[in-house]
Amino acid sequence: MTAIVSVRELQKHYGDIHAVRGISFEVLQGEIFGLLGPNGAGKTTTVEILEGLRKADGGVAIVDGIDVSKEPAKAKERVGVQLQQSAFPENFTAKETVELFALCYGVTVDAMALLKEVDLADKAGQRQEKLSGGQRQRLSIATALVNKPRVLFLDEPTTGLDPQARRNLWELVRGIRQSGTTVFLTTHYMDEAEVLCDRVAVMDHGEIIAMDPPRTLITALLGRGFTKPMIQQQATLEDVFLDLTGHELRED
Amino acid sequence: MGQALRLTLMYLRAYLRDRTAVFFSLVVPLMLLLIFGSLNLGAFGQVSLAIDDQANTTASQSFVAALEKIDTLAVKHLSADAALAELKRTELDMLLVIPKDFAIAPTRAGQPVPTITMYGNDARPQQVSVGGSIVNEVITRLSFAVNQTAPVVNLKQEDVQGVRLRYVDFLVPGILGVNVMQLAIFSVAFALVVDKRRGVLRRIMATPLKPITFLVAQVVTRLIMATLQVLIMLAVAVFLFDVHPLGGILPLLLVSLFGAVLFLTIGFALAGWAETENQVPAIAQLITLPQFFFSGVFFSKEAAPAFIRPVTNLLPLTFLNDALREISVQGATLWDVRGQLLGLLVWTAIGLLLAVRFFRFDRF
Repeated sequence: MTAIVSVRELQKHYGDIHAVRGISFEVLQGEIFGLLGPNGAGKTTTVEILEGLRKADGGVAIVDGIDVSKEPAKAKERVGVQLQQSAFPENFTAKETVELFALCYGVTVDAMALLKEVDLADKAGQRQEKLSGGQRQRLSIATALVNKPRVLFLDEPTTGLDPQARRNLWELVRGIRQSGTTVFLTTHYMDEAEVLCDRVAVMDHGEIIAMDPPRTLITALLGRGFTKPMIQQQATLEDVFLDLTGHELRED
Repeated sequence: MGQALRLTLMYLRAYLRDRTAVFFSLVVPLMLLLIFGSLNLGAFGQVSLAIDDQANTTASQSFVAALEKIDTLAVKHLSADAALAELKRTELDMLLVIPKDFAIAPTRAGQPVPTITMYGNDARPQQVSVGGSIVNEVITRLSFAVNQTAPVVNLKQEDVQGVRLRYVDFLVPGILGVNVMQLAIFSVAFALVVDKRRGVLRRIMATPLKPITFLVAQVVTRLIMATLQVLIMLAVAVFLFDVHPLGGILPLLLVSLFGAVLFLTIGFALAGWAETENQVPAIAQLITLPQFFFSGVFFSKEAAPAFIRPVTNLLPLTFLNDALREISVQGATLWDVRGQLLGLLVWTAIGLLLAVRFFRFDRF
């Protein structure tokens, strides 16, 4: 498979802080790639450089064949973006919000079809500010899809969502990948990365310290003699919670 | 272009849905106009003028008669002492003391002319200013007649007689100006600071939309609201308060929109500077409140203390109100108010520099 995102020696400083320290990696076409790391690791900075929202101090970022720092506008046309804090102008309905973003990309879309894709068709006429957290994240993904992006960037898409909404969003992300869009997400939920991502890169202090499929990383760790102090449970509290409350979305 | 237009329509629709924004941009201005228009309706009707004619000659009587003929003046005869007492109780607007040596005769070089003393009520500066100009006008007329010189400028008689400046006539242009200022500064500063803080602007900047297209849509949305505001207020002024803007509606609208553009630049600068919407009211009030009182909205700008008048005369709203008032009350044309328009232009340039300095898309 060919690389659709290619990053070489990327650098970014904020004053004295060296936020991104010459990282290099590639994202392959059609995969779900996860950039993991604790808060302040430099994930968001990296993603925002790739989205054309920030200028790198050094290195190269290529997205779908376009050098982002040289042609940010052109790069923006090819990617879909969900920012960490997804917010939209007030007094727009869900449908109008989708139409607003289509207009920003200069494209026409079937807003209803997109809303249906993210399971928001019944909320089309509702003001976006009245939507629940999970609904707003799905609306955010709908707005990120208006331009039929080659790569979809999701920055911590499930932060603040309840377990049902998280699983619902995972299904949505898998569906988007199924339709041929490469997905690049950041998260600090390891369970999310494990079930969703084909490959992950672990970032800390501005550097990538590991990059492989989740299974490979786990196997390697076990190979180094790692054992958990306790026998792993066959179920977690989250399993209990979902068993008790069901998988259906609770958002109304 | 089509993109900017459609974006404008989308934002306009959202704006009109926002009850708070509509309340502040249309309802509050109308309330101000209705309250102040009716509260003081007729209060300006006349300038009460006491005359102490110490000369009591044919000449002085004819001068007094000339003043009595003017509808705007309510003339009564009082001794200077009695009149001064009334002035102090603010029961009187003005007092004229005609000296014993008063005469109407051709002036000769080197010979002193009689001096009429005029007292004005500090508490009613508009009345004093209007009354003072009428008295001056009458004196000028007498001088022309006596000196047998043609006036340098010709003025029709009914211009003096016809000045039945009611308070509401004075008020309307001021209300237009102040509300355009409030709309432009507050609507932009609040909405965009909220959008900035919540990450909306950042999200929009993640699309290929050009910042200028976004800005044009924001500006045009407000200009449409300002147009709506001005037209509604003018309609109320004309149909309810019987105000007749002598210079016409269109020049008033154009000058108002010019003012709106100026105050929008300040709104954008403020939106760029402020970190949270909590900072907006304080700074916006700091900018607008002095202009509210010193730029001739509800009362003459001459009411400002003399020592700050050199400053208050240069405030943006002063230029705007003066231009609007001259058009509305005196029938001035856009060319006549070019001085004020130049003042507005200078302020717009300053506002634009501040907006460019503080409102930076790459920092959202």
